[in-house]
Amino acid sequence: MLQASQIHFCIRQRPIVDEVSLQLSPGEILAVLGPNGAGKSTFFKILSGEITCKHGTVGYNGHNIRSLKSKELAAVRAVMPQHSQVNFPFTAQEVVELGLISTTSKNPQKLIEEVMEATNTIHLNGQVFNQLSGGEKQRVQLARVLVQIWESKPFPRYLLLDEPTSSLDIAQQHAVLKILQTLKSRNIGILLILHDLNLAAQYADKIALLKNGIIAKIGKVEDVLEEKILQDVFDHPIQLIKNAATGVTHISAATQSYSAIPTFKLA
Amino acid sequence: MIPTLTHTKIQRQNMTLMSFGFVLGLVVLTSLSFGAFSIPFPQTLAILFDQMGLSFGSYELQQSNVLLQIRLPRVLMAIVVGGGLGISGAALQGMFRNPLVEPGLIGVSSGSALFAVLFMVLIPTATATFSWVKLLGLPFFAFVGGLTCVTAVYQLSKSQGKIDAATLILAGVAINALAGSLIGLVLFFADDSALRSFTFWSLGDLGGATWAKIPLTFLLIVIPSILLLFNARQLNTLALGEQEAFHMGVNVQQVKIRLLISCALIVGVGVSMVGMIGFVGLVVPHLIRILFGADHRLVLPGSFLLGAILLNFADLVARLIVIPAEMPIGVITALIGAPFFIWLIFNLNKSRN
Repeated sequence: MLQASQIHFCIRQRPIVDEVSLQLSPGEILAVLGPNGAGKSTFFKILSGEITCKHGTVGYNGHNIRSLKSKELAAVRAVMPQHSQVNFPFTAQEVVELGLISTTSKNPQKLIEEVMEATNTIHLNGQVFNQLSGGEKQRVQLARVLVQIWESKPFPRYLLLDEPTSSLDIAQQHAVLKILQTLKSRNIGILLILHDLNLAAQYADKIALLKNGIIAKIGKVEDVLEEKILQDVFDHPIQLIKNAATGVTHISAATQSYSAIPTFKLA
Repeated sequence: MIPTLTHTKIQRQNMTLMSFGFVLGLVVLTSLSFGAFSIPFPQTLAILFDQMGLSFGSYELQQSNVLLQIRLPRVLMAIVVGGGLGISGAALQGMFRNPLVEPGLIGVSSGSALFAVLFMVLIPTATATFSWVKLLGLPFFAFVGGLTCVTAVYQLSKSQGKIDAATLILAGVAINALAGSLIGLVLFFADDSALRSFTFWSLGDLGGATWAKIPLTFLLIVIPSILLLFNARQLNTLALGEQEAFHMGVNVQQVKIRLLISCALIVGVGVSMVGMIGFVGLVVPHLIRILFGADHRLVLPGSFLLGAILLNFADLVARLIVIPAEMPIGVITALIGAPFFIWLIFNLNKSRN
């Protein structure tokens, strides 16, 4: 269990994350959504251990994050940050292999192969990372992160991803989330920051809505996805449309009519 | 099907390193036999084999004296200092995540030089007679100076856990200028002979290499170099960023401290023994990366060997072009290095646009 309780973090007396508590069980996908500046990334960094937080505690499998060394922490959780730059001409495969450093794999070659196969990056192996497209870079980074937790372990582990689909096309977005779904059976809990409500609705088990550093609502997808709540959180008209054929709920953020856009008279 | 990665890669790396070792051997042999007093190859080999108790041919006593007492310590010094500059350049570039970083640029060399000059001026009795005080004190002072400056530059250029490239260069320039002016100030109070020896020393001089200095230099450069080799994988993860390295389980703070101390020790000892030699630490890691990729498991040992090759070669050139005089070696390395640096900046600009 990844447990955050009463996380409180201020920058210059202004609370960025305000008494936030949540739990992530292994085998569960929790999507964190919210408008820009809601404190998602800060909260994410506190969970990953990047920022140490004086108020509140983060616990991995019952161990306080502050008592874990970076190596022990790396054994129970992997992190994919939003952007990573590589300043030297590493190949894509070399970048993926970096993930091996915290593993004790007996067959690293097979591990790398499986992960690159799963992330659809195997054809990029010899290419220089810096010359890849944005989407390819993101998939290679995902592969690197997955290497860290790919092999099964007797204890539950966690994967934290900060907007893993931001540079991907629609097909790749769904491909990535499907990979994440397969991880559930490996006793891995997944927390990811997303911007796309529909992706979250389709793949997540739970959703947390964050606004102004406070959790506006957390719960099962169908409980959280209500027009009123979403409109309050995002300050934008939102409509839920149920597809009669599939039974899937789609979230539409289109404005109802053009009258909402202010028009200016030409003089 | 993915090409079997680790195995062939390691094989390729070993081949590369072995060929570097072979080239180094050739350069060393050439360096040993050429100079103001030329010793033919067969005699050079004969003298060397004779030292190992193998009879290989005849030679004159004068030849063996020149080779064993003058050239051999000099060549060994060039190997270890050149190698040290190469490997520490590679490690610092990796740590700062900036391919423009060089011991000379970020203040390690000038900091070492400043403290070395301070030591020479403050303890003049020690410089007059070659004693243990000087043998140990000078490298120690240089190490402290280098460590102080590189730590200052690192702290100045870091904001919010990231190193800003522009601030890094600016901080390096500022620290270099400060150290340079302080050296000038110290020299202002020094006597004439110290001044003259310093001007030569500031461009590097391998001529002062004696057997007495070799064991200490080897110890203080080779041990931290080996320590750097053990941090190659950590350096690889640092290339992604300090946060990413932390996510992968690397104790970033500890690794950085190890790297900084090792590099300051290598460069400080090098500076105190042969003076400031620029550009080796910049050019060598670049050549390796262009030729063989960015994996530090190859870049670090490769930089050591290539640095040793280049410095020996530069020393050979410095001794040969103005026989019987000697060109300061810093002139030669800068002659090779400066155009390369310009080419590098030019290419970086092109690749960004």
